[in-house]
Amino acid sequence: MIRRPQSPLSRYLAPTMGVVAAIALGLALARAEPIATREGLLPPGTELNEDVLDQPTELFASELAGGKRSYLLNLGDLLFSSPAILGGVARQAGISCATCHQQGSNNAKLFIPGLSRRPGTFDTTGALFNPKADNGVFDAVRVPSLRGAKYLAPYTHDGRFATLREFTRHAIVNEFAGPEPSPQVLDALVNYIQEISFLPNPKLAAGGRLSPEASEAAHRGEALFNKPFRRDAAMSCASCHKPDSAFVDHQVHDVGTGGWIKTPTLLNANFNTPYFHDGRYDGYDQVVDYFDRRFDIGLSESERRDLVAYLNAVGDAKEPVTRNSVQAEFDELAQFASVLETAIREHNRESVALTVDVVGSEWRELGEKIPPQSDTSVRGGIAERRQARAAVRGLVLTLRQVEMAVATNDFDQAAQVYADYRQQVVAAATDLKRAEPWSLFNPPVYEAHVTAMRRLAGLAQ
Amino acid sequence: MSRPTNIMLRVAASLLLFAMVAFAGRAQAADSLAKGAADYKPFAVERIGIALAGAKDLQAAVKAGDVKAAQAAWIKSRKGWEAAEPITGEFFAKLDEAIDAWPDAKQGYHAIEAALFAGKLDGLAAPVDKLVADLGEFDKQLKAPSFKFSPQGLINGATKLAYEIGENKSKGGESPNAGTSLSDMFENVEGVEAVYKIAFHSTLKARDPKLAGRIIEKIEDVEKLVKVKDLKNVDQPALKKAGEELAVLLQNSAAKLKLKKPAVGE
Repeated sequence: MIRRPQSPLSRYLAPTMGVVAAIALGLALARAEPIATREGLLPPGTELNEDVLDQPTELFASELAGGKRSYLLNLGDLLFSSPAILGGVARQAGISCATCHQQGSNNAKLFIPGLSRRPGTFDTTGALFNPKADNGVFDAVRVPSLRGAKYLAPYTHDGRFATLREFTRHAIVNEFAGPEPSPQVLDALVNYIQEISFLPNPKLAAGGRLSPEASEAAHRGEALFNKPFRRDAAMSCASCHKPDSAFVDHQVHDVGTGGWIKTPTLLNANFNTPYFHDGRYDGYDQVVDYFDRRFDIGLSESERRDLVAYLNAVGDAKEPVTRNSVQAEFDELAQFASVLETAIREHNRESVALTVDVVGSEWRELGEKIPPQSDTSVRGGIAERRQARAAVRGLVLTLRQVEMAVATNDFDQAAQVYADYRQQVVAAATDLKRAEPWSLFNPPVYEAHVTAMRRLAGLAQ
Repeated sequence: MSRPTNIMLRVAASLLLFAMVAFAGRAQAADSLAKGAADYKPFAVERIGIALAGAKDLQAAVKAGDVKAAQAAWIKSRKGWEAAEPITGEFFAKLDEAIDAWPDAKQGYHAIEAALFAGKLDGLAAPVDKLVADLGEFDKQLKAPSFKFSPQGLINGATKLAYEIGENKSKGGESPNAGTSLSDMFENVEGVEAVYKIAFHSTLKARDPKLAGRIIEKIEDVEKLVKVKDLKNVDQPALKKAGEELAVLLQNSAAKLKLKKPAVGE
């Protein structure tokens, strides 16, 4: 018989635990010495821009029409925020569709070394997320906004997919190595994306014409936008960017930027930098300059300024950004968690597990926005912070109990625990609002926290 | 004696007997838990001892200007600390704040870690001295005969740590510069395991063997998930789920142990 050295823990174990201790001891001995690594799954220098203070505004067509969010929309929104539908590194690193398309918009600061040429761009055929799709070419493209996507077919920068459904499946399976999505998953995701509306723009009237709210310069630019080019009278800016058709023509064109590229919309484009399919330009002045040279339009300096003013007017939006808060997070999580009601009733294990994972993770993130006592960059509110963190963690564990009940086919118990969860949420709202002044939702607290992080990073340089 | 009086006396006697049995049962459980908590103390003493010894090695290495030895000593100290984490914040909040502050680390492990693992020893003497002093104080308070762990505090600490094991470390975790996030998790699991097995398992097994068995199984599940080559190989979603399930089971055990449901706030 081989005698193994005694684990330190086993010295303290009661003799009655012999069998259990032996199993645990075996496991303890079998484990390899952990290899310390300074690297996570994502390359150093990665910026996911998980900003907590301001978020792109997200509006849904059904709500704008005076209706409500459907179950399908909520499920789709949930899936969009779920790393579980992706595979490989994305799933492990907690990356979801919403990481790149924040609130259904873009993510202009996203930068992943090796995959991004500049912030806001991403190589969808790089090796990190799906080695099988690696084409050996560094061909990063900008992350597009999905606002108004239902009007913007075909999809991807080169328009290779006719439908959102095809594109969504492609993104999951080929770009991010996820498992083949079920029809239910695709239905929900497509429904969610189709619900994401363009943001209202008071400078635009019907038919894509400028309203009186736009500046005089913008109106002069509008005329130039529709004016035929001097070298080709059949063409103008508006012949591709059709004002009455969401400023697209649903075609691909070779405008000398590297192949056949889909006409992008100009709506809300002020908030979808950088520009061109590869994100080469930061501003409209560069875009106008490029096309002026490409098509030899012969714009004067003042005309260029007017066109830029026009693009700024067309690309504008009312309230493009929403300040994040405890309340905003609560509202979103209430919508997400509402999926459970139907999923439990229908004994839909997959949806219950998914919802518990996503909502639980979101609660965890919210909880981390309430700094613990050990984060000494934040002063005061220790009792409130402790209470709020305990409340959030309690919610995470109650949700997990729902999933555990479903796993044992006890749907009645799951429904009861979910009812308890809803009661707990009400109490947690009070706790979190009390702690909000000392949370990362408060700009000075956020700044102090980020400064501490930067200081730590500086020490490590 | 009249018949009704006789019946009343019998009922009263039965109630008294029931109360005495219940009280005796509760007292027995309390005794068992108190013994479990006392049995756990040597484990905590040992692990804090490792943390302190490592910190002293670190102090010597910094004085000697030996970066590699200092880094190794930091890791050694850290391992001891992480295994004791179920009790550090729960029973020694102020010292925990001084020793393990993050990210505003002007003192403690993380202030030292950032510079040390960038290969810099300049300016580390003072925070290292402070770490040794704080861990020394921790060790002293812990070893004091008058100090006793409460079963409630132990179940709180273990539940909280089970929850925290599931926090996503894929971006480097709490110790990205030292690269010990996986080791941290590993020691954390051992810390939770120690609290449960030493302080609670035998009592719970007598009261609810099924639940006791599920907790053991779940601890083993979590162990398997952190027993991997490196941080990149940790199945983070599975670990989060398993950590939460373990925390839920520990919460459920509290009722069986006649303890309050553990909060997992800090």
